[in-house]
Amino acid sequence: MLEKKFNLEGRVAVVTGGGGGLGTAICLALAEAGADIVVTDYRVDAGEATAASVRQTTGRKAVFFPADITKPEEVNDMMSRAINQWGKVDILVNCAGIVRGEIPKPFWEITDFDWHRGIDTNLSGAFYCSRAVVKHMIDRHYGKIINVASGFGMRGLKGNFMYNTAKAGVILLTMSMALTLAEYNIRVNAIAPGLFETIGPKERYETSARFIPMGRVGQPPEIGALVVYLASDASDYATGEVFSIDGGALFSGYAPINYIPIVPLKEK
Amino acid sequence: MLPKGMSLKDKVAVVGGLGQSWQKEIASYLAEAGASVAVFGKDKDEMTAAVQAVEKLGKQALAVTTDPTSPGEVSKMVQSVLKKWQKIDILVNSFNLFLAKPLPEISAVEWTKALEANITPVFLSTQAVGRHMLERKEGKVINITSGLAERGLPNGSAYCAAKGAVVQFTRAVALEWARSNVRVNAIALGWMEDSAEVSKEEWHQNLVRYAPLKRLAGPEDFAAALVYLASDASSFVTGSTFYITGGLMAHG
Repeated sequence: MLEKKFNLEGRVAVVTGGGGGLGTAICLALAEAGADIVVTDYRVDAGEATAASVRQTTGRKAVFFPADITKPEEVNDMMSRAINQWGKVDILVNCAGIVRGEIPKPFWEITDFDWHRGIDTNLSGAFYCSRAVVKHMIDRHYGKIINVASGFGMRGLKGNFMYNTAKAGVILLTMSMALTLAEYNIRVNAIAPGLFETIGPKERYETSARFIPMGRVGQPPEIGALVVYLASDASDYATGEVFSIDGGALFSGYAPINYIPIVPLKEK
Repeated sequence: MLPKGMSLKDKVAVVGGLGQSWQKEIASYLAEAGASVAVFGKDKDEMTAAVQAVEKLGKQALAVTTDPTSPGEVSKMVQSVLKKWQKIDILVNSFNLFLAKPLPEISAVEWTKALEANITPVFLSTQAVGRHMLERKEGKVINITSGLAERGLPNGSAYCAAKGAVVQFTRAVALEWARSNVRVNAIALGWMEDSAEVSKEEWHQNLVRYAPLKRLAGPEDFAAALVYLASDASSFVTGSTFYITGGLMAHG
């Protein structure tokens, strides 16, 4: 019974940011569970590579359609092509985002351009992609939308403003979409990942790992099963919820990682 | 096929129950994914049903009659499970006693009982099984709680306080054991069919109308989350509470 619930055979998934580290892992996990994949990304080579990798390693169908998710026309066009490809889209994973797109600079020197770029990539993109597919999902009375938010969507981040603000927006977008679309049998949930080893030098992750309760960063394939869970019938009673996967990071942060006090009970 | 890493083949799970615990269903889901399952608690009928369900799935089962609020009995229970299988990979704490009463009318006895029933067994079994898991440097603990851990309810002061305590306990222990490869997570349930919370037909109808998904939950609704958190597929998840409430957590 459970095996059947996790099965995605016959389902079509669109994954934005599909050329990135987490996006690639998400595409592979969905395909391994049986789904056919539409990979989208503004990075053509990376997107094509993910689609090829899905075809080779899972034997499922996969295509790549380029789109810059900050541009609504491109998103609409990509989504029409995606729907036409195999006649439907069952699952949308909004994974595109710029993790460290912000150049550290003093708060008062952040330009309008910086601000809009951060918000558009991490928040508006999820809105544009969802808007482009939701009418199709309503017509079919079926849909699963998974927004990749971040633990930082619930926490402050020193010297960084657009990323966590946008991710907070993604979480609230998830909740309002979930309430609005429940009657059309569309589920909308968010994942709040912690730090995963995706791009950049390994040393950076080794330093960061010390500040994560589990003492390590996540490896992209570790997000796979959670995405399959949220994309499948297995999670049908979950909507508008946020699922953290972060090695314990979300509920640390009240004290340094090495603060481990021992104080006996003592009444005055 | 279950997603990669989600099989519980060769794993040993222990499921504690008290009150309305869905112990039989929890045991079945774990067994279906491949685990041998021990159940403990005081409800012999529920435990017998759990053992039968597990054995029917071709897995080994064990019932240990235990007062889950007694430190000595919980510790003995752990010994008997270890005697049979030499290890425990998974602990599920499902202790659930509902109380709804205006605060001025709650007696100190009721308050103590409600808190003791909902929290103390979580502490005792996590501690007793946790010692073994820390030695092995491997284990998963899953605490079943309620969306009322995070939301208020008139007449729910004692129950909300107790369920909230389970979430905070989960977070604290998750951090404490994060580097010992023992992961601690919670599943928060929504309004469940056939539960004390909805025992009046008019309450039931009111909640169904209110629920975003227009239905109340059954235990099968949290089965997949349970197996996910009990398995190696959730290897980077700790301290997390999975709310499976049918959209209630998004409600303003």
